[in-house]
Amino acid sequence: MATTTITKTEKLVGKAMRRQEDPRLITGSATYVDDIQMPGMHHACILRSPHGAANIKSVDISAALAHPGVAAVYVGKDTEKVGPVPCGASLPGLRVPHHYILAIDRVYFIGHPVAVVVATDKYIARDAVDLIEVEYETLQAVTDPEKAIAAGAPPVHPEWPDNVAFNYHQEGGDVDAAFAAAEVVVKQRITSQRLIPSSMETRGVVADYNTGDKALTIWSSTQIPHLMRTLVAQMLGAPEHKVRVVTPEVGGGFGSKLNVYAEEALMGFVAMKLGHPVKWIESRRENCMCTIHGRGHVDYFEVAAKKDGTILGIKLKLIQDLGAYHQLLTPAIPTLSVLMMPGLYRCQNVRADIVGAFTNAVPTDAYRGAGRPEATHGIERMVDILAAELNMDPAEIRLKNFIHNDEFPYATGTGLSYDSGNYAAPLHKAMDLVGYHNLRDEQKKARGEGRLMGIGLSTYGEICAFGPSPATPAGGWESATVKIEPSGMVTVMTGSSPHGQGEETTFAQITADELGVGIDDVIVLHGDTAIVQYGIGTFGSRGTAVGGTAVYFALQELKKKIKKYGAMLLESEDVSFSDGVCVCNKSGKTVTLAEIAGASHRAMKLPPGTQPGMVETYFWEPPNFAFPFGAHAVVTEVNRETGDIEIKRYVAVDDCGNIINPLIVAGQVHGGVVQGLGQALWEQAVYDDNGQLVTGEFMDYAIPRASMIPWIETEHTTTPSPVNPLGVKGVGEAGTIGCSPAVVNSVVDALSTLGIRHIDMPMTPEKIWNLMEGGRA
Amino acid sequence: MISQQFEYSAPASLQEALELLSKEGAKPLAGGMSLIPMMKLRLAAPEQLIDIGRLKELNYIRRDGEEMHIGAGTTHWDVESSPIVRAHCPLLSETVGNIGDIQVRNRGTIGGSAAHADPSADYPAAFCALEARFKLVKKGGERIVGASDFFVDMLTTALEQGEIIAEVIVPVEKQGTGVSYQKCVQPASGFAIVGVAVRVSHDFVRIGVTGLGAKAYRAANAEEIYASTRDASKAAAVVAEGADSNSDIHASASYRKHLAKIYTQRALKEAASRMG
Amino acid sequence: MKINGSYTVPIPRDQAYKLLQDPAILAKCMPGTDHLEKIGEDEYEMKMKMAIASFSGLFTGKVKIADAHPPDSFTLLVEGSGKVGFLKGSGLLNLTPQEGATEVKYEGDVQVGGTIAAVGQRLLESTSKMIIKKFFEKFSEAASQQTT
Repeated sequence: MATTTITKTEKLVGKAMRRQEDPRLITGSATYVDDIQMPGMHHACILRSPHGAANIKSVDISAALAHPGVAAVYVGKDTEKVGPVPCGASLPGLRVPHHYILAIDRVYFIGHPVAVVVATDKYIARDAVDLIEVEYETLQAVTDPEKAIAAGAPPVHPEWPDNVAFNYHQEGGDVDAAFAAAEVVVKQRITSQRLIPSSMETRGVVADYNTGDKALTIWSSTQIPHLMRTLVAQMLGAPEHKVRVVTPEVGGGFGSKLNVYAEEALMGFVAMKLGHPVKWIESRRENCMCTIHGRGHVDYFEVAAKKDGTILGIKLKLIQDLGAYHQLLTPAIPTLSVLMMPGLYRCQNVRADIVGAFTNAVPTDAYRGAGRPEATHGIERMVDILAAELNMDPAEIRLKNFIHNDEFPYATGTGLSYDSGNYAAPLHKAMDLVGYHNLRDEQKKARGEGRLMGIGLSTYGEICAFGPSPATPAGGWESATVKIEPSGMVTVMTGSSPHGQGEETTFAQITADELGVGIDDVIVLHGDTAIVQYGIGTFGSRGTAVGGTAVYFALQELKKKIKKYGAMLLESEDVSFSDGVCVCNKSGKTVTLAEIAGASHRAMKLPPGTQPGMVETYFWEPPNFAFPFGAHAVVTEVNRETGDIEIKRYVAVDDCGNIINPLIVAGQVHGGVVQGLGQALWEQAVYDDNGQLVTGEFMDYAIPRASMIPWIETEHTTTPSPVNPLGVKGVGEAGTIGCSPAVVNSVVDALSTLGIRHIDMPMTPEKIWNLMEGGRA
Repeated sequence: MISQQFEYSAPASLQEALELLSKEGAKPLAGGMSLIPMMKLRLAAPEQLIDIGRLKELNYIRRDGEEMHIGAGTTHWDVESSPIVRAHCPLLSETVGNIGDIQVRNRGTIGGSAAHADPSADYPAAFCALEARFKLVKKGGERIVGASDFFVDMLTTALEQGEIIAEVIVPVEKQGTGVSYQKCVQPASGFAIVGVAVRVSHDFVRIGVTGLGAKAYRAANAEEIYASTRDASKAAAVVAEGADSNSDIHASASYRKHLAKIYTQRALKEAASRMG
Repeated sequence: MKINGSYTVPIPRDQAYKLLQDPAILAKCMPGTDHLEKIGEDEYEMKMKMAIASFSGLFTGKVKIADAHPPDSFTLLVEGSGKVGFLKGSGLLNLTPQEGATEVKYEGDVQVGGTIAAVGQRLLESTSKMIIKKFFEKFSEAASQQTT
């Protein structure tokens, strides 16, 4: 038996280490949902609505059923009792349409599932879908949220003709007094367009029902295996303990897999009906049409200020494009925007009104940043607009309004408590890195030459590490179990469900340091409800801050037990444990972790009141969120002839508290910035007036490619979070949140000499060209 | 994303391929960069695919006097990386390097791109500027068609049923000729919103434009003005004249026309700067 | 999607008006259509096999003539659907005499849905232009044959 004999003293936390999960990902030996093969496996293909809104007059499945190889065809009536697709968010007066897993008599968005064909292979299933005849009576659709809530709009749900799902109001301080006292008020309509999350792996489900055990196993590409188990069991009316959810490798989620979709319950239903395992793999077209979209905001901002730039009050009217239904967190997402609307600024007087608008489109929900990119984009644009109005430098106005270092924890006007911060530090660092003051001189020179050069800043704060349970829909804690095997090898089981965040590495780093073992002596397991204790999952930049902290606390418990066994073996009360060795402080005698682990399992003798074995589980409830922050600086040049935008420099300085693995943090920032650039410059989900998604494929939906991305310079400041003992804050979404306002601010700065004050995203060359043509006139 | 059923044949020789293609419902498959996605979306449903992408007979690049002969099955990457093409037909090298991405260039073929005649494809701009000729073959027949007659309309060429491109013939560039291909890229697809290919020497100019209209064309008016004035902006001003400009969510008709002028100017200037 | 344009056909207006509503002529000139079945007053059912390069799709649908103001104008309503999507369009055709010929101006709105709308966005407008052009080319040809 291999045992841990080499103890180590090198600390791994803080070290840039390559990811433990990468060899299998790079060599193709990872298992994704579509890699799962089972004897007797059937394949499902879903017929979806080609209309944005229509009544279903009839569905004729006879030809499909008669097609050789087809095992079953189910329509809405067959699955009426399954579900509904759950909405986990609750708001006062929220209208929740019953979300059937297959449409019954009306379709509400393009791609709405209408029927499912199950066949012996996926080719037959696809062919048979074409044999189903559906007679639709098309209805007028509405896809623009502002048009949807205007008088006379066609109703998405006939029972609520105003298309309003909810109104939400939040207020802090004295907004009216602030605006009455204002020396200047700036107003702007700012949109954050609908985006398609576009994970590399689309969604996929395999379901297998064991008729003897009456037990259902579901493999799903998800971020939340345990929550899915609870919710799918509810949808199917199956006992939860006989439902197992396995999350194999997940090829990206970005929030789009922080959900429970119709297909998980549908495949469970099919497997239970047929008694065969069944697989459904989402096509890219389905992914574009039927997996949640992100953003979809129209924001009307007003900022009141003094002439010296002091911000006095902020008003926001937010129209959220919800789509036709609520998915898991749909209506909650804009409330996060409201929480973060004051950004990093000392402004207590805030008022927000949200209108949740139903539209004939796929629901919006959490997408990298989930509500915070929209908030940051809004406030950071408004601060630049205010600076322009007052002829102030955008850096100066930010520094003037930042919450001071001695004010933490800081209670915001929106009811949050910012944990710790040093907001000027990353801004100064970003300005130094980019050479801000020299750039302003360069800009003067460029303008003299007729070139359109822009310098943009954004300073962002985000609410992360979700979060205290009272503030979350389904529990905000996280769990960890740490086991030391008889050989001394270490197994960590986390309730987090990493899918690209590298937690198999960062959690192993934490564990290796605490136990004094090598990183290869640790394995991190996750994503199988039959193996791992109940957990919440990975989203909202919570993996390390909450899940990592649970691991840390489980390790502390385990170390107590290690010391008890060490004391017994060393026959001394005065022992200490570090670097994988228990030492008697008097005699200097030692016993290794492997020896202790072996002894605890052989259990020839037990310390008093101690159980055999070496396992501890910890469920950690965070007392607060954590609030990372940072500053991005972007230099752009706009081509006067074509409107093309060139990014000359991109500097991101993030403060995510203590850093476990700088390589992974850099990767997260890079990926986040790329998705931010996607929104700022290229991506938009476009529906036409009839509810057709005209960007239904990557031929028209422009996700960023490597060749389109500038060099990204990253740096950090470090302000540990007091919320957790690791001092970490979260970094998964930071890049996205800081990016879009910095890029837009930069381009608006470039065009400011033409009188341009605001540009909505994506800033396509044609849009810029039109502005320049108009600006010149 | 699963196509309808089809039969697949991989003939061992061109002759065998032409025999198979002479039958109703047969469709040639080369690199598959346009056809396969259409099939997977069920927008195309050929009954029989004849794979001509594997025919060595269609995969060659050779110089023959003042002409370059390129087999229709030659991949974009093979053209892009060919020292002979770079030396004797640099416009083709430059244009082909702008197609899609490296994965597409590894599979897509010169003949496939021409035969598909996508209005936004890069190659056709160069074919027009080069006055390329296409050797078309079918069972029991062979003919040569010039680029201006070959491209008929959007996605429509002079190819008849059962006929395929066997070879693309382009001139060997004369000493002193400068060339350039300038392209505005559609960020999602990688196709050209507009692309302009230019060849220019002291007594000669050719301008090919793709992306603007239903098919690529030679901008004869612009060529005439440039020949007489040597003024890139004057020539560019007329490049979109009379064109029925395409329009989609990526670029309106008026922006496309504007881009055609800008990119024509750029291509003319760059090509002129490269004249020996 | 808005479409508009004009085409001059080499026959007098009265005749052009009549022929543009003649089901036999329409069937001949609409790409991929070989037959129109009369199902009501000025209303016809059709089957259309569209083929553009490798694209092919089978559509079934209806053609209807409305708001007829002979010989000046009428509205043509077309709808069709198939596995790859559907289209629904209405167009106002205005006929103006021009020295023995007739200028036909058309102006309309086309809704396209399904796969063709989601993935064919880039080519939709050019495709409709091409189909209309082909229609008038064939129509001119057919009309000339009628007169000779």
